[in-house]
Formats: sequence, structure tokens, C-alpha cells
Amino acid sequence: MLLQQILNGITQGGTYALVALGYTLIFGVLEIINMAHGELFMIGAMVGWALVTLFGWSLVPALLGGMVGAALLGVVLEFTALRPLRRQGGTNLSPLISTIGLGMVVQNLMVRATNGQPLSFRVPLSEGVIRLGPLQMTTAQLVVLSVSIFLMVALQWTLSRTRLGRAVRAVSENPETAALLGVNVSAVILATVMLAAALGGAAGVLVGLSFVSVSATMGLPYGLKGLAVIILGGLGNVKGAVAGGLIIGVLEALTVAYGGAGYKDAVAFGFLFLMLLLRPQGLFGISAAAVRRS
Amino acid sequence: MAVLLNNYYLQVATFVGVNALLGLSVYLVLSTGQLTLGNAGFMALGAYTAALLATKAGAPVWITLPAAALVPAIVAIPLGYASLRLRGVYLAIATLGFTETVRVLFQNWEFAGGALGIKNIPSLGRMVQNGLKAAGITPPAGLSHAQLANLVVMLFVLLVLGLALAFVYRQAAGRVGRAYAAIRIDEIAAEAMGINITYYKVLAFVQGAVLAGLAGGLVAHINFSVSPAEFAFSRAVEMLTLVVVGGSTTPLGPVLGAALLIGLSEGLRDFSLFGARLSDYRLILYGFLLMVVVALRPQGLLTFAPRRKGARA
Repeated sequence: MLLQQILNGITQGGTYALVALGYTLIFGVLEIINMAHGELFMIGAMVGWALVTLFGWSLVPALLGGMVGAALLGVVLEFTALRPLRRQGGTNLSPLISTIGLGMVVQNLMVRATNGQPLSFRVPLSEGVIRLGPLQMTTAQLVVLSVSIFLMVALQWTLSRTRLGRAVRAVSENPETAALLGVNVSAVILATVMLAAALGGAAGVLVGLSFVSVSATMGLPYGLKGLAVIILGGLGNVKGAVAGGLIIGVLEALTVAYGGAGYKDAVAFGFLFLMLLLRPQGLFGISAAAVRRS
Repeated sequence: MAVLLNNYYLQVATFVGVNALLGLSVYLVLSTGQLTLGNAGFMALGAYTAALLATKAGAPVWITLPAAALVPAIVAIPLGYASLRLRGVYLAIATLGFTETVRVLFQNWEFAGGALGIKNIPSLGRMVQNGLKAAGITPPAGLSHAQLANLVVMLFVLLVLGLALAFVYRQAAGRVGRAYAAIRIDEIAAEAMGINITYYKVLAFVQGAVLAGLAGGLVAHINFSVSPAEFAFSRAVEMLTLVVVGGSTTPLGPVLGAALLIGLSEGLRDFSLFGARLSDYRLILYGFLLMVVVALRPQGLLTFAPRRKGARA
């Protein structure tokens, strides 16, 4: 029973980790929090829903479509809410506010477009169950978990092995020096934002798949939990985001299993709150002094 | 006179007053350079304190409103000491976490009505109306009893706002205000000058909590109901919008922001677009305003004094 709950928690945590990776990528490069990330997630889910339900696509192309849709919104985000502020050069609180603004616009436009109703998201594989000794998993859960793991590995590979990944790491270390060494910083930032958005969009499709529904307001709770996860794992830290996501997923599953279903949404932030007070650099973050310097 | 003072206008003006108080509560914290999203949580604490005292203990308004200001302050002191070690985005997220946690706790608290919240809170308007009738006062110049009561409520809210503004202005001219400004402009330099930055940051945080709680108490008594959903993330964002749009460098900024945004969304009520009332697009409009103002006029519409070089909110 306990093992089953932990397994459920890990599946859920995988999607939290994907959402958190999007935050952490952008923070790593720009040192800002993208408060519109939950809406990128929602748009990914909506595009995935449209491709499956309206156009009859199968899951994998729909997932890719959701990622592309979210990445395109990421381009809008970069040009409307991030780049104009970079030129002006304020504190990192200004982008926090402008991305909240973009998030509100996107979310409420979608609420109008869907009349605030959830949409049913059915994919053929939703029904099956796989047994592994005492444990069981729905096919949907298995897909969610394996796609999450695949995307995390792919991201890690992109960051550590490709030319783009090296440029991203260079800009994240020091944009001025990277520019002097011939890295096109604007292009790298745009690519990072699109990559982050695509991960968020993929998470959106996966969450839609596992809950068999999508809605215009589904982004906010995931966006907020993703925030809790990145602080937990340490801002800008890829491994921390994955670990933080899994921890929050498992803690939530256990809270629900042991009678605290109503408090599920407080778990992430309650834990985050303790964490911020005890260890603001996060589980895997650098020291608090370094956080302050940055 | 009777036309100008119709109940709808009076209610809108009251609403503007309450929102200006909320904006001012965010402004106070912002005036030390800290961005908080926690004042929606303090507002919830104030609203529930007033609602519970009034409905469960039958306490009169002159107890419930001060209590609505006091309880958030008591919570804000330890919370401020703990979380103001954090800065910038960390503080914004931690305080957002506070708001969300408060909401979930109220949602699960059966004694306080759970997700439905508390209803039948004694309304200020009704109380004034009964008081007027009991005292045998007849409203002058063709006003109805309800109008006169709403007028009194509006004046009361504006009086509270006026007192809060007077306080903030007086404070800004003194030692505390100068300490806030110094911390906002350069925390490290302020500390080097011998300013106890933790003390002043917590002070601003607590003052913000008091105003937010008081506004929450007023809202509870004006709407005669409270529910956890009113105090979610979107409330925190709306409060922030008032300040960002109105102006974050002068106490009149949030007042202008409240008047402008509430006026705008009420004014849009009579128009429609694609079969939906234009006021349904209110949050979309707020979002646009946030983006445009932050990009083009980062200190808000109303700014204080000529902008000095290097000084930024």
C-alpha cells in the first residue's frame, strides 16, 4: 500500500519536475522567475487536446504539437514581457510582474474561449492497467512517467553535450563574457525560453492525459507547485528541480493516502515555507551568501 | 443630489476605498524595496477574524474591526522576522506561499464554514440603517434610508483611508520613512549607516498586514460574507496591480490605481464584446496594464518628485 502510494507520487512528481525544469532553465539563464509558466503549461495541454480531439492525432504527435504550441507562446513571452524589460534594465522583480500580467491575459483569454468549462481529454490508451506484483499502474501513468523521464534525460543531454547546451551554460555563467566569445546571447535566451516553454507544454499534455481533462485554469496550481519545487531544489539547479518534484509528488500522495486530502495543495507550500526559513538555498543549491551576491 | 448619491455609485466608491487600503498595504512593504504577495493572506486573516467574532461571538463592529487589524499583525511579526531574510523573488514566492497556505487552511476549517466560508455577517449598511431608524433620523433631501446608510458607510471607509494616508505621509517625513527610503535605495549602504534594516523591514511588513487585515474586516462587514476563494493568488495579483499601475513611489499611487482600475472595470459593465460583457475582460485588461506599465513606466502612472539618477523602486 505504501509502495503503491509512493509509485503514484513519483508519477505525479515527474510532471511537477517537468514544470519545475522550465522555471529553473529560465532562472539559470536570466535570473528571473517566469510567472507565466503555468499558462505555458496550460496552452500545451490545450493544443494537445485540440490535436487529439479535433484532429484525431495520436498521442506522440499531439505531445510534440503541445510542446510546439507552448514554445510559440514562449516566443511571445520573450518579445512582450521579457526583452523590453532587459533593455530598460531594472531589478529582477519587474519581469516577475510583467510575466504575471502576460499569464493573466493568456489564462483569461482561454477562460473566455472555453467558457470556463473543463474539456474531456480522451486518448485510446487511458483504460489499461499493468500489474507488477502487488503494485499496479495505469497505462496512462506509465506513459506519463516514461515520457517525463525521457524528457529529463533529453534535457540533461542537450545541456551537457550539445552546442546549444554549451551556449546556454555560458550565458548562464556570464552573459557579457559569453557575448565577447561570440555567443549570440539574445538567440540563446530565446532558445532557452522556448525550451522551457516546450517542457512546460509537454507536462501540460501529460497532466491532461492522466486526469482525462484539460481546462483554462489548470495552469495555476501546477505553476504554483512548480515554484515550490524549484525553491526546494535550489533555483537554477536542474537536478534539484527533478528531486524536488519527486519529493513534493510523494509527500502529496502520502498526505492524500493518510487522510489529509483537503490539505494536498498546502503540502508543497508548507514544505517550501519551512525550507525557505531553514535552508533558503534549497536542497542542492549553492550557499545563501552566493544567492545574495547573485 | 439623490441621483448622484445612488446606491450603486456609493457602493463603487466604498469599494474603491477598500481597494485603495489594500493597495496602500502593498505600497508600505514596497516602500522598503520588498515585493510581497502575502497581503492577500493577511486580508483573509482579517476578514475571517471579523466574520468569526461577529457571527460566533456576536461581537460588535468596534471590536471586530480592531481585531481584524490586530490578528494579522500578530501573525506578521514572527513571519516577517523569518521571511525578510529572504529578498527579491525569494520573498515574493515565500509570501505567495503564505497566502496559498492560509487559503487552504480556511478551506479545510469546518468551524469557519470550509470552502463555502461564512455567511450572514452583520452588514455595516444595515447596522447604520437600523441605528438611524432607532434614533428617529429622517434622511434629508429625498434620500432613502438605504442611501443615507450607504453614504455613511462610504464616508466611514474613506475616513479610514484618509487616516491611513495621513499616517503614511507623516511617517514618510520622519525617521521611519527616511529609513524605509534608505533601505529601498540601497540596503547595504543603509545598514552601513547604522539603520537596523531587519527592524524596519519587519515594521513595514507588519504595517502592511494591519492595513490588509483592516481592509479584510471591512470587506467582511460590507459584503456580509467571506469565502476562501476570495483570497487566492488572483487577489494578491489584483492588489499588486493597483500599486504597479497607480504608482509605487507615492502613497497616492495605490489610491489612483484603485480609483482607475475599479472605475474602469465598473465603467465597462455596460458594454459588451463577442456576446460577453466587457467587464468580463477585466482581468485580461489588468494583465495588459501590468505588462505595459512595467515596460513603459516602471514606477507607475503617478510618480513622486523628479526621478533621481540611480534611484529605483
